[in-house]
Amino acid sequence: MPVETRPLLRRSDLVGFLPLVIFVGVLTYISLHAPNFLTFRNLELVLMQSLPVILVCAGLAIVVMAGGDDVVSGGIDLSIPATAVLSAGLTAQLLTMGYPLAVCALSALAACLAVGLMNAALVTRIGMTPLLTSLAMFVAIVGVNNVITASRRINVDHPSIIALRSTEIGPVPLGIILVALIIGILYLFVHQRRWGLNLQAAGGSRDAAEISGIDVRRLVAQSFVVAAFTGFVCGFFLLARGSGSSPGVEDNLMLEMVLATFLGAAFSPRRVVTLWGAVLGAVLVAAISIGFKSMGVNVFWTGLIKGSLIVIVVAFSAIAQRGRAR
Amino acid sequence: MKRERRRLEQILLRFGFLIVFAAFFILFAAWNPVFLHGGNLLNIIEGSAILMIMALGLTLIVATGGIDLSIGIALDFGAAFAVVTMSSYGLGWFSAACIGVIGGSLVGLFNALLVVGLRISPFLATLSTFFIGSSVQRIFTNGGGPISHRRMPTEFRNIAQGDILGLPTEAVIAAILALIYYVVLERSIWGRRIHAIGMQRSAAIVAGIRVNRILILSFIAAAMTCAVAGLIAAANIRMFTPLSGFSYLLDAIAAVFIGAALHPRGRPNILGTAAGVLFLGMVANGLNLMGLNFNTKDALQGIILVSVLALAVAQRRSRSN
Repeated sequence: MPVETRPLLRRSDLVGFLPLVIFVGVLTYISLHAPNFLTFRNLELVLMQSLPVILVCAGLAIVVMAGGDDVVSGGIDLSIPATAVLSAGLTAQLLTMGYPLAVCALSALAACLAVGLMNAALVTRIGMTPLLTSLAMFVAIVGVNNVITASRRINVDHPSIIALRSTEIGPVPLGIILVALIIGILYLFVHQRRWGLNLQAAGGSRDAAEISGIDVRRLVAQSFVVAAFTGFVCGFFLLARGSGSSPGVEDNLMLEMVLATFLGAAFSPRRVVTLWGAVLGAVLVAAISIGFKSMGVNVFWTGLIKGSLIVIVVAFSAIAQRGRAR
Repeated sequence: MKRERRRLEQILLRFGFLIVFAAFFILFAAWNPVFLHGGNLLNIIEGSAILMIMALGLTLIVATGGIDLSIGIALDFGAAFAVVTMSSYGLGWFSAACIGVIGGSLVGLFNALLVVGLRISPFLATLSTFFIGSSVQRIFTNGGGPISHRRMPTEFRNIAQGDILGLPTEAVIAAILALIYYVVLERSIWGRRIHAIGMQRSAAIVAGIRVNRILILSFIAAAMTCAVAGLIAAANIRMFTPLSGFSYLLDAIAAVFIGAALHPRGRPNILGTAAGVLFLGMVANGLNLMGLNFNTKDALQGIILVSVLALAVAQRRSRSN
């Protein structure tokens, strides 16, 4: 990249900060009107609530990095929430049948990796677009999970799973530490290793990456497997959050995942989907949902607020990009 | 020997979807003879009418190179406007139907505003329309309870329950709309322009096509079409059920992409979409007649969907090689 001299701060950069400014503004407004919002206890609650979304967002971010951020033809994996629900449902069902947790977890891991490999094969071998593949897989996985659990709620009170929610190491809950660890490892691979650089190169320009000798197909396939793995882990946090597996969680999780990940792109300097952006997006979306709830805003309005947020943030980031291109 | 195997492979790939279609047809017919009765075949067509209409609207949007996740909201709005017009304002059935379609067009107008006006990508724009539209329905119905209108005029109920020349009205409506879409999208200059935008937007701009105008009109037309599906849904159960349109979204997307995969150049097209809709309708009906448990049926449907899509895409690729 050529070194360019430029003023320290251009107007387009200021516009670029607007999405974040809007979020901070909304959160400030909430904290003024809901007095308990900014307490340590409540912020911890926000973080705990957003853990499952953070995990699937990280998975989606990696798929988008490998496939490019055009939603229709580039990389996307909508099936991660279904994979998470499958992981939760299978584990819960096997636990009630009396198998030890390790056996349940291993079977769930095998099922989730099979889903990831299936996605990878359909996209890289057969050549289906990721959007179509993962949407169809979403339907199929949810169907299979409903057969496994017979579409009923299964309570789980296994101490190791409840520990994800209630055990604290020092002042910090165990769940937060584990998710931070996983995101940290993903960060190492995506931003500090050659694999991650290749991944971003593949998503940035597929042709250029192929010409420089990167095996794009393999990277895309690997990204789907990593995404399925995040879905697997997310399943356990779903079990902990809901004290069991219940049908129908996947729809909302999918919408939140897409919302948070693509909002995250608006926070990044180059307007691309990044790991940190996705994580930040997930936390901010949870903060705003909980914030409005604690302000006593009717739940019916949350969809309206979320929808408007996408519009405002994405529109501003488009304006900023146009300003920069000029 | 090897050559013959290759030939067999080629035949399988070339006519793959047709073979699968026929295989399922024979399987269902063999399993339960009721499947083949004229009445049941008519059931399949009648039951596919709403999905067909939704898929038509979606085909148009996908042909412009976009995607519309809010078609379900347009269906809900169409149903809501029509039912409320009749139940609260006592207007006649025809004006209610018109107001329903106009109400649905608001959804398309909003999409057009976001996509053309604010340059948001269609996926994110229609996703936010979905969020906002769902929320508006919750607020309006105070949480999502249905609005029923038992004394709906017979003419309006006939949209879903009547017959025209012995054929179910909703199937006739779907067929007429499909014909209009076919003529416009595949046989007219507008259709050429729409496909041009979908294939190479920058080339279309250079060629002097008014891209923005066509995009705006497409979003509005698609939403109005889905609102017609909403009228049928409302007439069928004599009420407006909030958030009911979402359930058609995945099937509509699947039908459009099965259709696109059947096209030699992978373009979304009306005949392909119709084939996709009929296939999905046939599978749903056939699995029902097999008397399977609800969950098993759902899972099988999902697995069949993935396999058929994979086959259709593989088929197209082998043809283009």
